[in-house]
Amino acid sequence: MTERRVYVHAAAALGPWGDTGADERRRLDADPPPLDLNALTRATLGAPLRQASHFVELAAIGARLCLDALGRRPPDAAAVYIGTGLAEVRRAAALFRQVMPPGPGLASPFDFINASNNMAAFYVAKGAGLAARNLTVKQEEFSFERALELADGDLRAGAVPAALVGGVDENVQPRSDHLRRITLRDDQWMGEGSAWLYLDGDPAGARAELVVIVEQVTAPDAPADAWAARLAPALAALKRAGEPWQLLPGFRLRATQREALRAALPGIGLREYLDHCGCYYSAAGFGMATLFDAAPPPGLSLHVNRDAGGRCVAVALRAL
Amino acid sequence: MTRVAIAGSGIVSAYGIGRNVLRAGLMSGRPAITPLTRFPLAFADRIKLNQVDPDLFPEGETGARAMILAAVDEALADAGLGREALADAALLVGTSGFLYLAEYEYRKTFAATGEPSSPPLRGAGRMADRIAAALGVTGPVLTLSTACASSANALLVGADLIRRGRVKRALVIGAEGLSAISLTGFESLMLLDPEGCRPFDAGRAGLQLGEGVAALLLEADRAGARLALAGGANRCDIHHVTSASPGGEAMAAVIGDALADAGLTAADIVAVKAHGTGSEDSDLAEAAALKRVFGARPPPFTAIKRYIGHTLGACGAMELTALVACVESGRLPPAAGFGTPDPALGIAPLTDFHPLGAGHTLLNFFGFGGNYAALVVRHD
Repeated sequence: MTERRVYVHAAAALGPWGDTGADERRRLDADPPPLDLNALTRATLGAPLRQASHFVELAAIGARLCLDALGRRPPDAAAVYIGTGLAEVRRAAALFRQVMPPGPGLASPFDFINASNNMAAFYVAKGAGLAARNLTVKQEEFSFERALELADGDLRAGAVPAALVGGVDENVQPRSDHLRRITLRDDQWMGEGSAWLYLDGDPAGARAELVVIVEQVTAPDAPADAWAARLAPALAALKRAGEPWQLLPGFRLRATQREALRAALPGIGLREYLDHCGCYYSAAGFGMATLFDAAPPPGLSLHVNRDAGGRCVAVALRAL
Repeated sequence: MTRVAIAGSGIVSAYGIGRNVLRAGLMSGRPAITPLTRFPLAFADRIKLNQVDPDLFPEGETGARAMILAAVDEALADAGLGREALADAALLVGTSGFLYLAEYEYRKTFAATGEPSSPPLRGAGRMADRIAAALGVTGPVLTLSTACASSANALLVGADLIRRGRVKRALVIGAEGLSAISLTGFESLMLLDPEGCRPFDAGRAGLQLGEGVAALLLEADRAGARLALAGGANRCDIHHVTSASPGGEAMAAVIGDALADAGLTAADIVAVKAHGTGSEDSDLAEAAALKRVFGARPPPFTAIKRYIGHTLGACGAMELTALVACVESGRLPPAAGFGTPDPALGIAPLTDFHPLGAGHTLLNFFGFGGNYAALVVRHD
């Protein structure tokens, strides 16, 4: 049996400035200011989302932009997958203030409902009329990559005809509060965003192919060059002769690891997308989706991230 | 096609540690309803719930990890395996998000300082990473958070990973702890029944929350396993954030998908473990769905949330483990809490123990955000 292949047909990314396209992307030189999405919600969705949270707005806008970029209605059985590190952190924090001491001990029903981690996936599905498979992956490390992996597996198995895959996270002001939920170095800006890919198995009209998702586990304290030397052959094997390639380093990848990997992958370019979205758990989605802000860079794009436990996940996309 | 065996299971519930005490409890017909002693709650004396004995495990993350590992070790022992067998397995966790651990940390800080603090709302994957590290798991590690269908979806994903040859084994964990925010949130929605869970009963008025952990080891083509995950499905009911399509269409659709995935028809199902929360509209929709799929006389069905509580994200794994206990006993327990048939439903769950022989049982799980899952389990 011929193995099914998986193609990217559309992508969209909403960044921490409310930016939605190449001409709106801005480099961060500090933590981004709070982002009010009311106007963009109305402009994108045609109406406000009543009682919906900032996190839901992020997800709904990003998904709609992706479907707008697709330019056609997805099949009814298209699935929705969201990867998020923290999900509804603002609503959850509000519930703490309401319920936990010295609060009044009463929960806002709307905050409680919205604090369900899968609420964003519901709104995305409702907005697109997709009553099929609907999964929310909530985990700090590799949340977008895992959501993408679920979609990839389902598409290759023929379990779903198409997939809308998002990486969504919101931040919390001030930074000191946010740092209780994510560890960032002083030179890493906190970010937020909503980035989406639309995938199916049809090469016609596709903009890229999702080639493979590679996973390796090494000792957490493995030296950078040893780690890179072990990972590099699996990535180098994906490259066609003469094909350009570029590395998208994830936010957990240390500078030494990034440079060791570049050294082990001769000629590979570098795309530092985190300068534009800041650091958040599902930022990998922003890196991949913004490849399609314009015509995707030719050749192979490799997103690589690694967690503190020594687990590494690499995603390979090839422009078509 | 690869057969996804349920090679082992383990559980910590309000009955105590292990499937033996769970089985004894279910077969006694006596729900494990307990007082709430973990934390103060203004309306604690007005509700019923199912709390794990707090003397069994320490509070906080250490205790939560120990509770999970107790369930995992029971599942491994049940399968005749050691932890080393998990080296290349997948680890999947289904949970609504370990909010109770953040609450515990918050209470500790508040007790020490008297000041409110920013809650440590870390992602749910932190626990999965720590469990994976403790078990030496190097396969994929994934945490699904899809409300009350979380661990049922984790079971589906685990089965998919095995069927597709990605892994040979998948360890699936459902974990949930009682949370002041969850209890207060459901109270604010007027969804806690002071009488406790009364599934499909005419007087039903809401949920009865519980806590616990269950672990199931799924394995490809394991010889001799009595139970297998024959199929399943997940869907989104986009009717409303918290209310099911009243005619049961979406619930019926996910059940239909699950049957199709298992290569079965409705006539092949010998029993149903209903979601049966005891909430007015969810039970109404589930009854309508069962009638859509099975006709006016569905197979014998039960609901077990009065026995062990509604464990939210963990209920998929918890209630599947309860089914394992029922298969071992050869009986399904009655739907505790049910007494008076509701004419609006037109069907009623078991009111007495019922023999459970070989065949296929359907398990339903329906969550907020319209996230629905159905599992079909083959038992010999």
